[in-house]
Order: sequence, then structure tokens, then C-alpha cells
Amino acid sequence: MSENGLPKERLIWMFTQMVRIREFEERVKGTFEEHPGVIRGHTHLADGAEASIVGSLAALRPDDQLTTTYRCHGYPIALGSDTKALMAEIYGRETGICKGYGGSMHLTDVERGFLGTSGIVGQGIPHAAGAAWGAQIRGKGQVVLSFFGDGASKQGAFHETLNIASLWKLPVVFVMENNNYQAYTRVEQEDANAAVGEPLAVKAKAFSMPGVTVDGGDPLAVHKTVSEAVERARSGDGPTLVESLVYRLSAHGNIIVPPGVPLHYPEHEAIAIFGNVEEYEAAQRGDPVPRFRAQLVTDGTLSAEEADAIAEAARAEMDEAVEFGLASPLPAPERATDYVYA
Amino acid sequence: MARELPYIAAIGEAVHQEMERDDTVLYFGQNLGLTDDDPYVKAFGNDRVRVTPISETAEIGMAVGAAFAGYRPVVQLYMSEFMLVAMDQVVNEAPRFHAMTAGQVKVPLVLQAGYGFTAGWAGQHTGTIYGMFMGIPGLKVVVPSTAADAKGLMTAAIRDDNPVILFHNYLLTLEHGDVPEGEHVVPIGEAAVRREGSDVTIVGIGWTVGKALAATEQLEGDGVSAEVIDARSLAPLDTATILQSVEKTGRLVVVDQATRHASAAAIIAAEVASEGFASLKAPIELVTALDATVPYSEPMEQYLLPDETKIVAAVQRVLEAAPVAA
Amino acid sequence: MSQSAHGRLDGDVGLELLRSMWRIRVFEERVGELTRADEVHGLVHLSVGQEAVAVGVCGQLRTDDAVYSGHRAHGHAIAKGAPLDRVMAELMGRERGLCRGLGGSMHLVDLEHGFLGATGVVGGNVPLALGSALAARLLGGDQVAVVFFGDGAVQGGIFVESVNLATLWRLPVILVCENNGFAEFTPRSAHTNVERVSDVVAPYDVERETVDGNDVVAVRDTFARFLAEARRGSGPMLLECLTHRLRGHYEGDPQRYRQALAAEEWQELDPVLRLQRRGIAERWLEEDALPRLEQDACDEVEAAVGSARESPFPSPNATAELVYAQ
Repeated sequence: MSENGLPKERLIWMFTQMVRIREFEERVKGTFEEHPGVIRGHTHLADGAEASIVGSLAALRPDDQLTTTYRCHGYPIALGSDTKALMAEIYGRETGICKGYGGSMHLTDVERGFLGTSGIVGQGIPHAAGAAWGAQIRGKGQVVLSFFGDGASKQGAFHETLNIASLWKLPVVFVMENNNYQAYTRVEQEDANAAVGEPLAVKAKAFSMPGVTVDGGDPLAVHKTVSEAVERARSGDGPTLVESLVYRLSAHGNIIVPPGVPLHYPEHEAIAIFGNVEEYEAAQRGDPVPRFRAQLVTDGTLSAEEADAIAEAARAEMDEAVEFGLASPLPAPERATDYVYA
Repeated sequence: MARELPYIAAIGEAVHQEMERDDTVLYFGQNLGLTDDDPYVKAFGNDRVRVTPISETAEIGMAVGAAFAGYRPVVQLYMSEFMLVAMDQVVNEAPRFHAMTAGQVKVPLVLQAGYGFTAGWAGQHTGTIYGMFMGIPGLKVVVPSTAADAKGLMTAAIRDDNPVILFHNYLLTLEHGDVPEGEHVVPIGEAAVRREGSDVTIVGIGWTVGKALAATEQLEGDGVSAEVIDARSLAPLDTATILQSVEKTGRLVVVDQATRHASAAAIIAAEVASEGFASLKAPIELVTALDATVPYSEPMEQYLLPDETKIVAAVQRVLEAAPVAA
Repeated sequence: MSQSAHGRLDGDVGLELLRSMWRIRVFEERVGELTRADEVHGLVHLSVGQEAVAVGVCGQLRTDDAVYSGHRAHGHAIAKGAPLDRVMAELMGRERGLCRGLGGSMHLVDLEHGFLGATGVVGGNVPLALGSALAARLLGGDQVAVVFFGDGAVQGGIFVESVNLATLWRLPVILVCENNGFAEFTPRSAHTNVERVSDVVAPYDVERETVDGNDVVAVRDTFARFLAEARRGSGPMLLECLTHRLRGHYEGDPQRYRQALAAEEWQELDPVLRLQRRGIAERWLEEDALPRLEQDACDEVEAAVGSARESPFPSPNATAELVYAQ
């Protein structure tokens, strides 16, 4: 057992999910180089945020639910969605988890509680609260996690929803993944709290709810914090604002260019726009995946060989996902008007 | 059994009856369900009936989320302009998810939105803005003109698995009509022929249906037989019924309280011009509000609006262009 | 809360404050009568009972300071210098109205006196004030922007979006909240579990204070401090004025949602009566001068009513030339 009181299997499970997410995201990024044209439009990667994603989801029951942002690949992976179907969706194939209708920004797996993903910053926050209202009515103790970025916390939807969720004591936990950047803008440039060096969790003060900041690079710390918030919500005491500090290792998203020019991933904004190489290199050194691996190997939870085996299995799984995606057919054009009305 | 109810009560009756029938129906919004004596709260409790702060983005966004989770929310917005505060949730969230998820989720919500209150409510509270919600795939728009239809369309809207905006005209609030007591459903997507005629088709929407019917009385005296169609549903639009009528009459006048390029009339006219051109004997006439922000002061306010005089004049113009054969 | 709450008020200042409040009080009550007599139409929201906030704040502003208000704006407009006859004419929809009858009660604008406008959708005015404050900052002057809103507005997303930006950019905007405990027909507790409006901005470095909004001297003194700082280049500030809306949300509101104040209770709270009691106690006001004060206000308001009645209605097509700026 670790300090967290988590059994070894659980720790290994968490590590495995982090490795799988990293491998998946690397393969998505690789697709731009290796198979240009296969991924169209916008995609946003969560490499660097694995500890926050997995630590949070590890606190959930199977019948809990969540909504996230367009940076959504990691969550369904950890929930157990079929990575072949996820990759196929990103490749726009008819075998995709949304049959090619949604793409990278709108992954959904309702059976696993992964509700519809909105691409508009902040707008999934009220969606989560609405689902939490449903959970409150049903009275089975379900909780909903609402994931969003620091950029969303300036949106009116954030303010309105947190107020109502607090007033109605909805069983929702608001997890703000603060990666210091809103697309290309640094958080101090747009946030009055960050501009004076305050953690964004202080925003909770306006809603009479607890606000707490946690190191989003430490999956066990995230797990502990989110678990406490989930228990609070489950017991009917209402929401919490959890600010999880992460660093995304890729740029905001692939670059948008005119047709004909292949989409690709630029350098992280820290370097490309702000010239802050030290910041980026420090983040690489603090990469949560090798960090957690080292921790588990050091404390004997995993041997180095076992850790390698997990990485190898992830590589094999994602190879399969990529191949499956590439081999899958695109949807027939006339399918376009299939889901207009329920 | 039917009895007289005012239009606004008919809508309420639909909500109440559907909430009785289906306990996944929720009802919420500003300034409602305030005390335990409130009829909705008494009947359905504080779980399903809640008052919200002035937070349209959250209200409509939460309706979307509750719908994801299997509920059927009805959001009382009072004025359609307040949807503009939360335009993203209405246009770019609620109607998108069923398609983007290839059918994994449905968003069966209803937005109850009053409009057209040209009674001194001034520029920001008086608009007729349904036009901007037509043509959004997945989003349905209905506009009842009678108390019975108000109940029937609200019932249909709640039962529909898609997001529906029910625009109720504030000028019709106290208009009484015969409303069936029990279950009453008016299908979405079906226009209604309110009056049969042979010389000209007049299509009205919401409040303008009554104006059109009033105009036909004068026209009758002039020996003109007018057919009046109540569009009822703007999305999906029942162009078939309109085309069928124009095939019979050959002449079309569309009356809309919205301004010209924001009107449903413009879309109806485009449909008939392209699909029913062969039937037309005269150019189509649009009688819409004049292009201006609705002014506060009464004479100006009324000047902007369609009325019987303008409708009659439009009918006379189409008859002049294509007189009825003796 | 304020120093001079305890010290003696300068008599001239006291009389000026009293006259301003009487002017608004009588005006609003007269508008109430005119609404019932159908001379003022449409949706009207009166500020009887809240005069101390308008007067305590606006009395200290310059013409080039921008003031914005919401739907309950008559008092703010008058306190900022809008002439009574032109406000009354606007409410009666006449040509001589501030907006030639186009705007009405919720859309008063008097550029000449720096009353940049009333808006009808809750919270919509807050970012407008930021715009004026930004302009002031860019132009290098010491003008400030003031925006009045109610407690219902601060739950809206637009409020906190504005607070964040105003704080980040250090804009000289003073947010004045008239917290009368009700947003339309619901008490504050139905909107939020944060009791004080000033707590809503707790996360931000916004100077804030809560005052007794029925004590015009307290309002005035605190605002004076904020104003001085704003002119020196501070960021946004929030003045929360706890007050009481004596009448309903709108004229005609049956107010079933709250208990009426007992007459004695209101006597205690009434800002006008309170200042009079203070004036008498401090001897800058004679008991037998009181009727004259009220009468002067009545005369002024009656003159405004007379002038407004004489103004013609605007010509019906006056709106045509006002759709686009030329």
C-alpha cells in the first residue's frame, strides 16, 4: 500500500493509463508527419496532463459521469473506451466512436459516462452541472466531474454555473486544469488573479465553495484531492473547485494553415511566442510520466522490466489503433444527413 | 372536452400535464417556483422545479447537460431576447450533440420564449427573432397562434427528442380559445389551414394569423376568397401545405411580425418561388415589420407592424397583377 | 461606515441632497400615476425608495464622467442632470423626449449630461461602462465611468467577465450595486448563497465597500473616496448600497412574492425622511420648511408633465432615418 492507502494494483493501473494516454497522443502527433492529410481540422493533445487526468478519474465510480474540453482524448482512454475507435474518430472514419461525425474535439462514450464534449471554451461547464442535477434527482450518489482549462474560468458560463451549483449543492466537482496558457496567451495576461500571482482557486471565494490547488503532475496528490472533493459532492455537501497545475508538453494544437499546406504541430508557445526555453525545459524535466515511473520503481511497486512491459504493451495497442484507423473506410457521403433529428 | 383558457394558461397546462405524465420533465427558470405554494412545486417538488438566478448561459447549458443525463428540461426564458445572451448554448451546443456523437446523446429540451410584445416594451424586449433560429440543423422552432395550439405544440415540444424553441407571442397572452382538457398534441412540422379560399393564399405566423383572418373579412366584402394558412412550425417548415394551397390559388401573401430579412416570410417566399414557381400567377408579396428597432412611442411602434390595412393592400396588389378570371 | 455620518452635515449640501431626492421621489410617484392613467405606456420600473443612491453618487460627478444604468434608470438619469421635462416627454413617447420617444423608460440617454444610457437586459450595461473607462484611460484624462445595477445582475456571467478585465487593465470604473434584496420577483437567496454582493468580487483586487444605501450621506461620503481614487488612476471599485425598492419590480407588479413593509418601518428607512430628520436635528432645516421642499418638487414635476403633454407625438415614420448612422 502506498501513503495514499492505494493498493499496488491501483497504482499500477494509474501508471498504465498514463502511459497509454502518452503513447496515444504521441501517435496522434506522429500521424501529422507520417500520414499527412489523415487528420483534418483541429486537434489538441494532453501530453503532460496525464497525471491530472488519471488521478482524477481514479477517484470515480463506474456510474459517475464527466464532461471535458476539446482536449479530450485522454479521458476516454482512461475510462476504457476502445482506442481503435478513438483513433478512427480522429481519422474521421466510419468506425470512429462517433462514426466520424465529431472528430477529435467531440469524443463521446456515453456508456462509460463520458458525456458529449463541446468545443467551445467553458460551455461544457454548465453541461456537467445539468448532468449533476439529474444525478441529484436520481439520488443514487452519482457525481459528475467537470474538466476545463484556466482559459474557461474567465467565461461567464464558469461564473454562472459555479454559483448555481453551489446554491443547489449539486454533486459536481469542477476541475480546472491550469496549464498557464489559454491557446497562445499566458494566464497573467488575461487573468486578474494570475496577474498578481494568486492561484486561480481563489475564484471559489465568490461562490461560497472550497477552492484548492494541487500539483497536477503528481497523480497521487490529484487523486487525494479529487477524491475528497468527490466524497463531499457525493455526500450532498456540494461542489469544490480544484485547480490542478499541469503543463502541456505540446503546443495548444496543430497549426491551422491554408489547404495544401500540411497540418503540423508547432513548438510550444513558451518558446515560439515568448522565447522562454528554460520554462519549457523545466517542464520536460518534470514530465509526470517518467516521474511517476521513477517513483513506482524506486518504492518497489514496479520493477523496471514491468514498467518497460507496460510501455511496450501501450505501443503495441496504439500501433493497432493507428493501423485500424488507417485501414477503416471513410463514411459514405450520404451519411451526412443521418443524425439531424433524434 | 374543450373549454376556454387563455393562451398563456394553455402553455402552462401542457407543461403541468407532461410533468405529471413523465417524471423526467424538469421545469426551471428565473422567477418561478418561488414558494412551496407554487402549483408546480406543490405538484412536483423542488427537485424538478427550480428557480435560477439571471444566468441564461448556465440555465440553457444545464438543460443540455440534464438532457444528456436522460432528463427533459423545459426552460422558462420569458423573453426570447434573453436567448441572445446564451446564443452559443442555443445554437451551437444543444442542436449539435446528437449529430456530433452519431446519435449517442439526445438533447430533448424546450426553451419557452416570449416575443413580439409591441406594447411599449421598447427596442430590446419587443423583437421577433425566430428567423435566426430557422435552418439550424437539429433545432426545432414552433410558433402557436391559438390557445389550443399553444397547449398542443408545447406538449409535442416536450415529447420531442430534439431541442425545441417555443415562441409564444406576448400579445396573445390573454387570448382565450377552446382548449382540450386532456392530452392534446399538435404535431410539429404541420401547418394548419385556418380558412379555406380560392383566390389568394395568405400565410401567417403567430400573432399575424389573427391579422390575416381579420383582413379576410374585409376581402370577403370585396368578393375576394382568401385562404389563410397558419405556419405553426417554422423548423421544420411545412412547405408542402403552402405549396398545395398556392397551386390552388396561384397567389401568395406572407405576413410576418419580424423585419424583412430576418423573417420566416422571406424563407417561405424563397421556397415557393423555387418549388412552386409554376403555380404562381403573380409575384409573392411579403408583409413584414419595417426595418427599424422597435420604437417605444406608440404611434411609431404601431406604424412598423403588419396590420389588416397592409395585408389587404398586399392582396389587392397580387390581384391587380393577376386578376381572378370572371 | 462613514465619518460624517457622525459629524454635522453642511447645511447647503444637505439641502441640495434633499431637493435632489425630492425631485426624484415626486417624479417617480407621478410616473406611477401616469402609468395607471395610461399616459405612460409599456414597461416601467420605478426607483421609489432608492433615491439616496442616485443622488449620493451622481451629485459628485462631472458631465464628462459616463454613467450607465439598467431598466430602473429614471432616478440616475435625473440625478446626472437629465432635464425632468425631457425625461417625462420620453416616458410619454413624445417628440421632445430625450430619445424622441424611440427609447422609452428603459432606454433613456442624455449625452449632453453624460448619461450614456439605460439598457434593458440585466448586466448588459456593465461592459459598456468598461468601454467608457477604457476610453478615458486611453485619452489620458481623469474621467471615470459609473455603472448602476441591481443585486440580480451579479450572478450573470457578463458581470464577472467584466470584473476580471477591469481589474486586469486597471480601468477607472465604479460599480454601484443597488442591493434591494430582490431580482425581479425573487429574493437574493434564490439566486445565490453569497449574501453580500461585495463578496462576489472577493477573488479580485477590487476595492469594495457595503453601505447603508438609504443614508445619502453615507453613500456620498464613501463614493467621494472612491471617486478621488478613480481619478488618480486606480482600478475598478464596487460600492454596494443596501437599499429597498418600495414599489414592485415594474408598475403593475402585484408583488405576491414579498411582504409589504409596515408604514412605520418605512418611515424609519425612507432616505428622504431620514435626511429631513437629520437636518432638523442638526438645525440646518426648519420643520416648517418641509412642505415647501415637497411642493417645490411637485411644481417642477408638474411643469415637466405639462411640457411633455404639449409635445406632439413623433411622426410615425421618424424611425426610417434612424436605422443606420449617416
